[in-house]
Amino acid sequence: MRSVGVHVAMYGAALLFVLPYLYMISTSLQTQQEAVSEGMHWIPDPITFAAFTNLLTGSLIVQWAINTLIIASVTTLLVLLVDSMIAFALTRLDWPGQRYVLGLIIASFMVPGFVNIIPLYILIADLGLLNNYAAVILPFAAGPLGVFLLAQFFRDLPHELQEAAQLDGFSNLRIYTHIILPLSKSILTALALFIFVWSWNQFLWPLIVLQSEAAYTLPIGVVVLQDNFTYQPAVTMASALIASGPLFILFLLLQEQLMSAVEMQGVT
Amino acid sequence: MSVTDRFDGIKGVISSDSRSRKELIEGILFSLPYLVIFGTFLLYPLVMGGYMSLFDWNAIDPTQSVFIGLENYAQLMADDGFWNALKNTGYFALLTVPSILVVALGLALGVNRDIKGKGLLRAIFFSPYILTVSVTALVWIDLYSTQYGMINHYLGMIMANPPQWLQTRLTAMPAIAMTTVWWLVGFSFVILLAARQSVPEYLYEAAQLDGAGTWRQFRDVTVPQIRHAIFFVIIINIIWAAQVYGQPYVMTSGGPGKTTETLVMYLYQSAFSQRNFGYAAAIGYVLTGILVLVSIANYYFLGGDNE
Repeated sequence: MRSVGVHVAMYGAALLFVLPYLYMISTSLQTQQEAVSEGMHWIPDPITFAAFTNLLTGSLIVQWAINTLIIASVTTLLVLLVDSMIAFALTRLDWPGQRYVLGLIIASFMVPGFVNIIPLYILIADLGLLNNYAAVILPFAAGPLGVFLLAQFFRDLPHELQEAAQLDGFSNLRIYTHIILPLSKSILTALALFIFVWSWNQFLWPLIVLQSEAAYTLPIGVVVLQDNFTYQPAVTMASALIASGPLFILFLLLQEQLMSAVEMQGVT
Repeated sequence: MSVTDRFDGIKGVISSDSRSRKELIEGILFSLPYLVIFGTFLLYPLVMGGYMSLFDWNAIDPTQSVFIGLENYAQLMADDGFWNALKNTGYFALLTVPSILVVALGLALGVNRDIKGKGLLRAIFFSPYILTVSVTALVWIDLYSTQYGMINHYLGMIMANPPQWLQTRLTAMPAIAMTTVWWLVGFSFVILLAARQSVPEYLYEAAQLDGAGTWRQFRDVTVPQIRHAIFFVIIINIIWAAQVYGQPYVMTSGGPGKTTETLVMYLYQSAFSQRNFGYAAAIGYVLTGILVLVSIANYYFLGGDNE
């Protein structure tokens, strides 16, 4: 009996969780007339892709998708590279001062991103980077999370491998590229997914530094669209699907790795 | 200091003088790319923000900025708009943080039971977290809509006058909070589930032998065993709540009557509408101060029982 109760509660909650998705999909396939009419129309009648074609022809959404993809991809690669390099230096090399560097990076966990928004904006403007991909990519490429997770992982890798490689005359660069990185594929994948999703979804900062319509990312674009397609739920939901669809596909394919990146943050 | 201590056991190899110099150079070279970005885009703005907050900052010609000491902070203390935003942000945190903890814990304990389709349920409960804030907000605007919205369509079947969610002072913030719970609870859920799954089963068996029922097992075994995860969830959600921006920006623009205007919205307004950069920088610093206190409280609560 109790088991039945748990099943009912959990699957009931799951239904509530997916209702907004069903609403998105259903509404995006409706005609304008049906979408704004009273009552719920879960099965569109007729099914139409007009909202999607309106979007593709009447907005820059394709351009925004490309912008978002480039920004998220470059951010991810950059974070993986610089974070793994410094994590290697902090855990597998022995040099004075490394403890202070690590302490400084960990302390920066306490600095909320937005406190820096004003001086960062002025810096980016002075560097002439407004409306540039770099304006979104660079400022948050040196967050503490990746360094912290990678340093913990690298630290626990067995030292025998490194010592054997040193006896064989491997340079530290070669140890990094040929031993440490290959052994860390799982955590690098998890971190990459987390950073990719996070970067794709950024809102406030791109809103500030991307000021021309052609430079927008999807999260900004779908809001601005509201001005051009006022009160058109089908178009809004179609844009929401386009903005989140790629991440959902990624999630369906690699959900274990993505959730493991979250779990790792909890055991710090 | 305990955090850096954990990285100490790593220096296995005995090093000669020339090797240690080489390691120093290599250590710096390997760290440099990160440190350059970190220094330029995190440390420098942090210091710069503190400096700017002491000026009546001239956005057009910074050399014309006037040093005014702590005047911005003094003004802040007398600014009704600031207190309103602080109050709203606190209210938002009060609405979301406990709800997220309770929902996440309930879902985690439910999924941890002997239940069919664990993997599917886990994926569903986590999934809203991968949406961007603007998509979340746009979908929920429609769900809350009084003309064609799903929520009032079904509420209308059981009550006469369902609320005008986002248009009423009383319900606007709770509505935004409810959206936020749906959007963010997955993160906390995954962490609490992982923590619960790592509690050794024999503890429950022992508790059962002692005659502990479900509630006693929860209180005396589960909660103490996963307390680190619970604290982490509370802290990270407070930090997120303190920085809430996207949901009210898209859903209500801070209305009705500024009842959903949050601190980051106010900071943004001061900077980019009123061009009052020094003042905005001061707001940022006050917020940081609050969050640093939260972090310190966190260490204080967790201090002493770090394994």
